[in-house]
Amino acid sequence: MMKKIRYAIAALAVAAIMTAGLGQAWAYFTTYAAAEGGYTINLGDRTEITEGFSDWTKRVTVTNEAGAAPVYVRVKAFGPSTCPLTYTGSGWTAGEDGYYYYGTPVPGGGNTEVLNIVINNIPTKEDGLEVGDQFNVIVIYESTPVLYDEGGNPLPADWNATLDVVTGTEVVGTPETESGEEGGGAS
Amino acid sequence: MKKLIMKKPTMKKPKRLLPPMAIYGLFALAVVMLFSSSIGGARAALTYYSETYSSRVQMYSIGVSLLENGNPVSWRNYDSAGNGKWDEETGELLTGLLSDGESLTPGKTYREELCVENTGSINQYVRVRIYKYWVDSVDGKDDKSSERLRTLSPDMIDLHLVNLGTDWIEDTQASTEERTVLYYNKVLPAEAGEASRTPLFADQLTIDGELAKKVSQTESANGKYTTITTTYLYNGVKFVVKAEVDAVQEHNAEDAILSAWGRKVSVDGGTLRLVD
Repeated sequence: MMKKIRYAIAALAVAAIMTAGLGQAWAYFTTYAAAEGGYTINLGDRTEITEGFSDWTKRVTVTNEAGAAPVYVRVKAFGPSTCPLTYTGSGWTAGEDGYYYYGTPVPGGGNTEVLNIVINNIPTKEDGLEVGDQFNVIVIYESTPVLYDEGGNPLPADWNATLDVVTGTEVVGTPETESGEEGGGAS
Repeated sequence: MKKLIMKKPTMKKPKRLLPPMAIYGLFALAVVMLFSSSIGGARAALTYYSETYSSRVQMYSIGVSLLENGNPVSWRNYDSAGNGKWDEETGELLTGLLSDGESLTPGKTYREELCVENTGSINQYVRVRIYKYWVDSVDGKDDKSSERLRTLSPDMIDLHLVNLGTDWIEDTQASTEERTVLYYNKVLPAEAGEASRTPLFADQLTIDGELAKKVSQTESANGKYTTITTTYLYNGVKFVVKAEVDAVQEHNAEDAILSAWGRKVSVDGGTLRLVD
């Protein structure tokens, strides 16, 4: 009987030793580290056109809201075919498409130089013009955000870029770019 | 004369199937196997349910650091005394990306060199999990509880990965549009100076300028005016880049990685490969 008890105790001792060894083998050394960061994107630009009119000349300035991202601007005017328009202004150059392009990006809080749009061949009474007659000269302008190359240098404006208008998605952010029309009349 | 011999009836003694020593031996073996199976269950429970507990018990003198542009950003180095204490720092990425007063320019490429350093006293294998996503940002304030914007594409956040295939292996099975998992395919030695640093796994960060073309539009008429308002989907939202570095001991690496990270790998001659 005593012999059996001794065997049992010996077996238990062996088992205890083996399980202790197993426990060690399954303990792995691990560690970790983590970090994160980011920035808020600011694409916002809100531009506004300002017009003055005197001496049959429209004086157009486009302003970019303070804090907004830089934009490129272009302007075009439409009037009666009998009243051709001529454009003058520092920094503005004529494009082949009838638009006048402001050559440098307009930064947030900045504005373009004045673009003068002169209305020529104003009709008179001799041309049959009567009191109450009117005609319109409409000015439109467009702005597009400045894009940058890998070095952070402004890329030329891409007026033919197609916007990817997303529908059915929750809108995030605030309004920025406007395309505006403004009509002016003379009688 | 015949002598009648009467045999005394006797009880037959049953034959033993096994000698006594064999029975004792089998009993002892059963006890050992019983203990072994119960220990296995306990290990599985520890690994799965309680990282904190397993960390406290298992960590010894292992340590790892995440380096950004050559500087340690975050680390966790265990005390070699085996007292369960560690030195830990959780820093912030991208803090040096812009100079004072500069705002982030989409399309521009910024230096963002990331690598891992073994800052412990034992050799290790490492992996990196990179997360890219967008969060709502109120007035540009940093709020880590901000909601993730899952309709905006992580692809617009271009963290340029390098040394793929040569030093780092991408686990495509574990990677998603938002997460990239990389394994360093060599042992990262401890206390070996420059050799304790991995080659870069990223070198540049660019926010895709194409995001300026992602818009929604509304039209409104007001007397003689027609206004088309274009809203940039990515204006006023914050991008986040997150890197998590994991390290595991070199010894018995295959089992250690499977246990700690749940990934089956093969290690042959110090080279780690992912097993599909």
